Amino acid sequence: MILSPYFYAQAIKLALSQIWANRKRSLLTALGIIVGVASTTSVIAALSGLKANVLAEFETFGANRIYVFPDRPDDKPRNMYPRDKIRIKPWEVVELQQSCPSLRAITPVTEFGVSVASDERELDGITVVGIWPDWHEAENRHVIAGRTFNQIDEDGERQVCLLNESAIDELRLPAEAVGSHILVDGRRFLVVGVIETLQSRMFGGDGNTAEVFIPFSVAIKLQSSEFFLRVTAVAKSAELSEEARSEIQRTMRRIRGIQPGEPDTFRAEAIDQYIDQFKVLAAGITAIAAGIVGISLLVGGIGIMNIMLVSVSERTREIGLRKAVGATPAAIMMQFLLEALVLCLAGGLVGVVIGKLFAIGLTMIPGASLERADVPLWAVLLSFAFSALVGLGFGFFPALKAARLDPIEALRHE
Amino acid sequence: MICVKALRKIYRVGEEQIHALRGVDLEIGANEMVAVMGASGSGKSTLMNIIGCLDQPTDGLYELDGQRVAQMSESALALVRNEKIGFVFQSFELLARQTALENVELPLIYSREAGLTSRERERRALRALDRVRLSDRVTHRPNQLSGGQKQRVAIARAILNHPAILMADEPTGNLDSVTTKEVMEIFRQLHEEGQTVLIVTHENDVASYCQRVIRLRDGLVLSDLPIHEDQAGVASR
Ligand SMILES: Nc1ncnc2c1ncn2[C@@H]1O[C@H](COP(=O)(O)OP(=O)(O)OP(=O)(O)O)[C@@H](O)[C@H]1O
Ligand SMILES: [Mg+2]
Repeated sequence: MILSPYFYAQAIKLALSQIWANRKRSLLTALGIIVGVASTTSVIAALSGLKANVLAEFETFGANRIYVFPDRPDDKPRNMYPRDKIRIKPWEVVELQQSCPSLRAITPVTEFGVSVASDERELDGITVVGIWPDWHEAENRHVIAGRTFNQIDEDGERQVCLLNESAIDELRLPAEAVGSHILVDGRRFLVVGVIETLQSRMFGGDGNTAEVFIPFSVAIKLQSSEFFLRVTAVAKSAELSEEARSEIQRTMRRIRGIQPGEPDTFRAEAIDQYIDQFKVLAAGITAIAAGIVGISLLVGGIGIMNIMLVSVSERTREIGLRKAVGATPAAIMMQFLLEALVLCLAGGLVGVVIGKLFAIGLTMIPGASLERADVPLWAVLLSFAFSALVGLGFGFFPALKAARLDPIEALRHE
Repeated sequence: MICVKALRKIYRVGEEQIHALRGVDLEIGANEMVAVMGASGSGKSTLMNIIGCLDQPTDGLYELDGQRVAQMSESALALVRNEKIGFVFQSFELLARQTALENVELPLIYSREAGLTSRERERRALRALDRVRLSDRVTHRPNQLSGGQKQRVAIARAILNHPAILMADEPTGNLDSVTTKEVMEIFRQLHEEGQTVLIVTHENDVASYCQRVIRLRDGLVLSDLPIHEDQAGVASR
């Protein structure tokens, strides 16, 4: 039995006019669904706002940062993996930069101790760090005076440097250090910027250590040919950090020709365990919200069933007439199912709108750190899907009752 | 057109059996206009409902337009009602919130003819309304129409799909004598245009529009005569 498009158009039109004609009753009936959908969508909105905030916070202190070190497999003899085999080479970093689309920035970092001198003072064994301009982005450290490194510094192997405040102190440079010159391993370097002192000590940073940064291309020339380097990279977002980590791992294995089954000769680590913990928590809250919605949709569904039964008995004569002019049981069934469906979807729509308004309200609560609260698309779609399911599920029995009415009995109904 | 043989209908009410029809034989040809008369409870409505495919006989044969209708499935019967039967009820049965035009279009919702344009649907409904001379009441709702006009809208709805037979169970039962005449004139005109008509009535005035009168008593055909013989019999009684 195929019903014509005209049938569907008329059935939906009728359903809407029915809802409109009994709008107070329809509203009360749909209240369960409205409340259920509104409360769930706003909980999800709050949660997503919280999540966005937490992830952003993690990002600032490095949750999306990935470190790559050379690493000798523990259970293998040392002479199988000589130093030069596991050492990370600059070209490998270039390869990583080109092959890992989830990365926002990547830089090699090479540290070595040399003597550093100013006009006032000479210090031995100061840590000098060679970096690419991307380092600022990767380590999230920026200048508080002067400028950052740029590609011209790197490509032109320019003898420029960045200092942190303790280095300025120790070298007795003027407070306005930018523009001064220092000697690194006997070569003259122009100070172009002052680096902010490391805030977080979480990952072993020590704000009091003097640091001197020079372009990576320059640092290579100041070291022996078998110099050591590590890599700092940052993923495009905290959520992508695991993906970025595995991209790095795959690329390194590929360029090093490591066969399946052989161990890595490097280590790539992302600091994302906190994110995982938060995600577990968020999933728990979402599950509770889903439970709430389940109960309220059940209550809403019973209301729908009740009102549809009322509607069927009120319109018994109409059903009889429709059957008399040729409506099959299937057509009557479909019409009442559609009516329940439209009612529930309308309820769902109102619920989603209220949820959305709630979400907007949440963003305006000062200090609640919910500025990013919003109802995600999947929650909207899920709300409609659930509403539809309730409509079809609880509308089924009344619709069946209507479909089974005997046309003569129905036409005789008072 | 319509051929009924040994038609029986037994209602069961608890333990009791009610024999509403006890073996009715009947033939109605194309373009006849027939009245069914008889005392209350004689089985007129029961017969009409079976002929109109709204109900199934307990026993017997029924052929409509060459098609054996008895024992068909519910959906198949619905299709027959949609395409071959036009039914007019005593109490009009119009949908209160819809216009005359929408009421007349109703059977098309359930039509097998998929892909009718709205223009075509409207054209057919307007044509039907024109045939019952209601072209000037197209957008009126039932509560803006007189009883006679309501019944004419119902007739327009019944003839929309050009049914093999137009049936009416006491179509003038709720009307006064003036509007009864108005409605019966429509039936007469449709009959003149070739429509087969079957009308249940208690009123001789209504029956006098027909050419043939079938009288029922206790679920059996009492008499089946041309109108003038029937009316002569009534006069002599
Ligand atoms: N659904 C039913 N259940 C039980 N008995 C019924 C049912 N419908 C009709 N009957 C009985 O069948 C018999 C015939 O009824 P029917 O309605 O056909 O009479 P009628 O000739 O149309 O009467 P009226 O002129 O009053 O409309 C009556 O005795 C009636 O009580
Ligand atoms: Mg009757």
